[in-house]
Amino acid sequence: MAACLSAAMALVTTACQSGGKPDMNLAISKEANERIVNMYSPMEKLEPDAENVARNAAEKTFCMAEEKLGITLQYVTYTAEDYQDKSYDDVALARARNDMDDIYLLNPDTIQALGEEGKLMDLSDLECVKNLRDVVKTANTVNGKLVAIPQEVVAYGLFINKDMFDEYNLQLPETPEDFLECCRVFKENGIETPVGANRWWLETFVFAQAFADLYNGGNTEAEIEALNSGESKYSDYMRPGFEFLKKMMDLGYIDAKKAYVSEALEGEKEDFLTQKTPIVMAYWGAANTETAYGNPDFNMLVIGFPSSRGQMPVMPMTGYGVGINAEHGEDAKNMLEVILSDEALQMYAETNKVISPSKNVQVDCIPELRPLNSRIEENVYVLGSNAGMKMEQWGNTCLVVRELLNGATVEECMAEFDRLQEESLAK
Amino acid sequence: MKKIKEKSGTDKRFPLVLSIILVFSILGAVVFSVSRKISREMSASAIQNLNENLDLIKSTIESIWNNQAEFQKLMAQEIAIMDEDLESYIRSYQKNRTIVKISLIRTGESEGISSTGDAFSEEGLDFSSGGMTDGLEVSRAYLNYMGTWAYSIKCPVVKDGREIGTLYIEYTYDSIDKSLPDGFYNKQAMLYIMDTQTERFVLKPKGMGERNAGHLNLEDFYRANDIHDEALRREIKNCVENRENIMFYHDIQGKSALNFIWMMNGGTICLIGYVPTEAIQQEVKTVNYYIFILVAVMLAAFFLCCGLYYFNQRQQKKIMDEREKEREQHNKELTEALHAAQLASNAKTTFLSNMSHDIRTPMNAVIGFTTLLVRDAENPDKVREYARKIMTSGQHLLNLINDILEVSKIESGKVVLTREEFALNDLIYSVDTIIRPMANAKSQEFHVEITNIKHEYLLGDTTRMNQILMNLLSNAVKYTQEGGSIWFRIIGLKQYSSQFERIRIEVEDNGYGMTQEYLKTIFDVFTRAENSTTNKVQGTGLGMAITKNIVELMGGTIEVFSEVDKGSLFRVEIELGISESQADKRFWENSGISRILSVVGNIQEIQNIQTFMGDMGISMDTATETEEALRMIQEASDTNRDYHMVLLDWSTADTERVRMAGKIRKALPEAAILLLLTAHGGDNLDDAEELIRLDHTGVLAKPVFVSALKEKVAEIQTEESRENKKAENEEAGDLMGLNFLAAEDNEINAEILAEILAIEGAKCEIVGNGRMAVEVFAESEEGEFDAILMDVQMPVMNGYDATRAIRSLERKDAGEIPIIAMTANAFAEDEKEALNAGMNIHLAKPVDMKLLKKVISQYVIKK
Repeated sequence: MAACLSAAMALVTTACQSGGKPDMNLAISKEANERIVNMYSPMEKLEPDAENVARNAAEKTFCMAEEKLGITLQYVTYTAEDYQDKSYDDVALARARNDMDDIYLLNPDTIQALGEEGKLMDLSDLECVKNLRDVVKTANTVNGKLVAIPQEVVAYGLFINKDMFDEYNLQLPETPEDFLECCRVFKENGIETPVGANRWWLETFVFAQAFADLYNGGNTEAEIEALNSGESKYSDYMRPGFEFLKKMMDLGYIDAKKAYVSEALEGEKEDFLTQKTPIVMAYWGAANTETAYGNPDFNMLVIGFPSSRGQMPVMPMTGYGVGINAEHGEDAKNMLEVILSDEALQMYAETNKVISPSKNVQVDCIPELRPLNSRIEENVYVLGSNAGMKMEQWGNTCLVVRELLNGATVEECMAEFDRLQEESLAK
Repeated sequence: MKKIKEKSGTDKRFPLVLSIILVFSILGAVVFSVSRKISREMSASAIQNLNENLDLIKSTIESIWNNQAEFQKLMAQEIAIMDEDLESYIRSYQKNRTIVKISLIRTGESEGISSTGDAFSEEGLDFSSGGMTDGLEVSRAYLNYMGTWAYSIKCPVVKDGREIGTLYIEYTYDSIDKSLPDGFYNKQAMLYIMDTQTERFVLKPKGMGERNAGHLNLEDFYRANDIHDEALRREIKNCVENRENIMFYHDIQGKSALNFIWMMNGGTICLIGYVPTEAIQQEVKTVNYYIFILVAVMLAAFFLCCGLYYFNQRQQKKIMDEREKEREQHNKELTEALHAAQLASNAKTTFLSNMSHDIRTPMNAVIGFTTLLVRDAENPDKVREYARKIMTSGQHLLNLINDILEVSKIESGKVVLTREEFALNDLIYSVDTIIRPMANAKSQEFHVEITNIKHEYLLGDTTRMNQILMNLLSNAVKYTQEGGSIWFRIIGLKQYSSQFERIRIEVEDNGYGMTQEYLKTIFDVFTRAENSTTNKVQGTGLGMAITKNIVELMGGTIEVFSEVDKGSLFRVEIELGISESQADKRFWENSGISRILSVVGNIQEIQNIQTFMGDMGISMDTATETEEALRMIQEASDTNRDYHMVLLDWSTADTERVRMAGKIRKALPEAAILLLLTAHGGDNLDDAEELIRLDHTGVLAKPVFVSALKEKVAEIQTEESRENKKAENEEAGDLMGLNFLAAEDNEINAEILAEILAIEGAKCEIVGNGRMAVEVFAESEEGEFDAILMDVQMPVMNGYDATRAIRSLERKDAGEIPIIAMTANAFAEDEKEALNAGMNIHLAKPVDMKLLKKVISQYVIKK
């Protein structure tokens, strides 16, 4: 035993001495030319231990880019505290206009606004653009410039508690009338608010009803041209949707007051997951992530919004844009080249189970999303944003819907659309 | 004893186990306390370290704010001096990363000018929180027109002691970021700047914390980091309200972390965040790792030592156990040996005592009669009488010595059984020849019964078989009172194998019998039944032990049943090989006898003969009456199937038996043999003397044995046989004129030998050893000696070597001269060795003169 302890002591002593003489200069020098790219992106209010699949998927592609390019991506995030706070879009616009960051993750309306203002770089020279679906390029092209490219094609749909529908023997609604009937049955059966909503996404109902024919009637370009020329009125397209929403509000199928002050998911998520509300609306990725509606305790299905042409997915285009005066503009574009490459998009889509903007990337979706996916694969959908339309759709409609929630009449809302159309035509 | 031993073993182990536990406990306690101490010190050091770092950041930020305030004061002073074209001055300002907007409101006005060109009012700025830096008011944080968090400092513009306006400068929190360290605790720490009033997070410095963990405000911080403890939250709230620093431990995502809120600028803003303790105490992992390694090494060493110790102990114990076992075994063997030695000693003492008595008795007789012999030397009758008694006593002494030698030989395992062919009837006949006179002498009835024996010729050691039977039967005679009966039965049992005959030998008597106690030791050596009756019987007490040993050596069993005063039964069961010999069959064929008629009163008496004759292919008819016999002889004669031999029972008390025998003789062909079967002794043959003299007529004693019958037939059929026998009897004892060379080292023996030979008219040259015998013979003339009498044990050269030397001499008679061994080495092995050495025959000492004369006549005359 003594021998063993002596050996151990000898080892320890040797280990202590093996450090040798310290260097003269002990300062740790840092790399002088660290390449950095700043990215402005939203950040939801986090729940502890919850996994955000979408963020994980994006993170993987960022890591890939960092590794390939030797660039560090730094996040600048913003989260609105409440409805009175400046919205993410407001802050995005302000930051982009003041060249605060390099890359911005933008919603459709801000893409269009900043594109028109010339605050975003033209990304059409990126290699990855060749792989993009046409609909993606169309939706994000402003004045001939491709100003933003998404990592996923965002599709909005209705999230349905199938168990509750089955409980009351209800068919999945195809038309607005079907939908109202379902709501009536739920209401009569004691469901206080059949449709959960927030202040952002109710406009999807409006788009589905407004543009179902426009995008699926075979005369899309002519109809858009008519709108851009002022020949047709947006208000005529929008009216049925607003009247529908108004009716929903009047019948108590939507809690307008709550929706008006609720951020995305905040107002409706809990009620939906606890099965107090059978219907909510959300984007595709919400079905995959635990921070939204991933793994509910009931059978969930995601279907299109009711329209005269049946269930209708609504697809606004989000995307990454690069500031025109970005401090690290070139590195930012290089970064996008990597994170939007087929390899990165494949990884993203596999992680997040979403529709990829690249025509070369196909992945299976989760069972809950199949009804919505099948409509998209049939090329039946409406765009929630279209940079080809002079009047910005996504942001403006959202604001007008909020006015409706805040007590405006349908006529007042239509008047607002007319004003906006005039304003955009005047530019 | 064993229990006590085990207990003492447990007692020994207990302190060892206790000391192991104690060492472990001390080691564990030391390591634990050292670890704890290190951990505590490192924890204190970590807290100290974090405090210092936060103070450093705080000082930096406060310094920035102070500089901004001082700069703003300077600018206000400049503006106060300018007084002209203030608007152009303000508007000409180009924003930078730190100061993004300069605005001025003249005193008394609600709206002023701004460097952005827009009209400026204090609306939207909230100075009510009371934030101050260097005496200037600081607004609450707000999102500015650039979409970034900002604050404004307002500074009065004083000219000539009069406030002429207020200068507002907007600073972004982002500008502070550049003054902060790049990376905080290796980017593992999370750090925000929070506007204390609104609890809104206004800056997350780059390189601090994980990038996907953006937080909105204090409530969001609580939620994201699972801070739900009401007491803790109350404590935090109190500190925030009182603008005090707070630092506390709280696990973030399952990892221990130091959480903090650090007030700056009098609490206007604060640093908020957490640092995982492992990030501060990076060395803890290493230290713990090495402590673990050290402990592991020590434990391994300890266990190794324990293992070695245990192994060693086990080995020791094993060796001890083995030794103990060995010792116990040794002791046991010693005890047994001692016991055996004691028993043997006792037995030998008893034996010696018996022997002493038994030897003294005949010795007494020898000496006594010798004394009488000296006194009555002149009286020839008495001399003969005394000499006969001396001879009897000497014979008894010889038997005693033979038995002792036999026992010693059996016990030392020197007995080797021979396997030779013998006729069972011969064996029985030879025994009967000896025993029957003994029984007759005591007026005992001796019955011999042979039943179911299927094979006459068997393989075995006849000498030993003879010894067994002699021992059993002589005992029966000895231990049966006068007039008693003895039954000797040979019974064939069911064979287990076609190669072996199973025989049961029973010797039964109605004599004294034995006690049950004695039966237990009857087969032990040196034991002898002792009682007032049997004490009169002479014996060595070795016979039964010898018998049992021989029986067992032959693979047989021996049993004894006895009852005092009722008699004993000895039963031996033994298997003997069956001989395929055809000698008997050839004898009967050559003798020309194929039909026999037996005339006996009791057919049982000749049953065994009948069975055996059947096997030989000889038909044997029986008649119980002489008339019937005559008729059968007549019938046979008429049919040319004459009887070749008639056995006529002479023991019947028939007065007409002589006449009837004569008739039978006459009726038979001349060559046919008539044998009168007499009861043993033949004392009632007086009336048949004439008959016996007739040719081909003889007498045979009952019971009839095949070998005796054969012998008798052969005797009758050979005319010379009678003549030869007579001549032999006459010639035996006639050594006249022969010259012997005798090698004998013992002078008395030599003298006796010389005297005896001289009496017989022979000369004898005595030499003292083998070498001299060789030399004398070598020097003698050819034919000078008729035979050499050779002792075996002699000095210089023994008898065997001398014989070999003589036989190897190069002279004609060296290989021919009879050499007769005369030795006290009386065993069969000695005889064999003698023959191997080249001797012609072996005679045991003491010299039986009759036997010697017979042997000499046989070899010398033959020569």
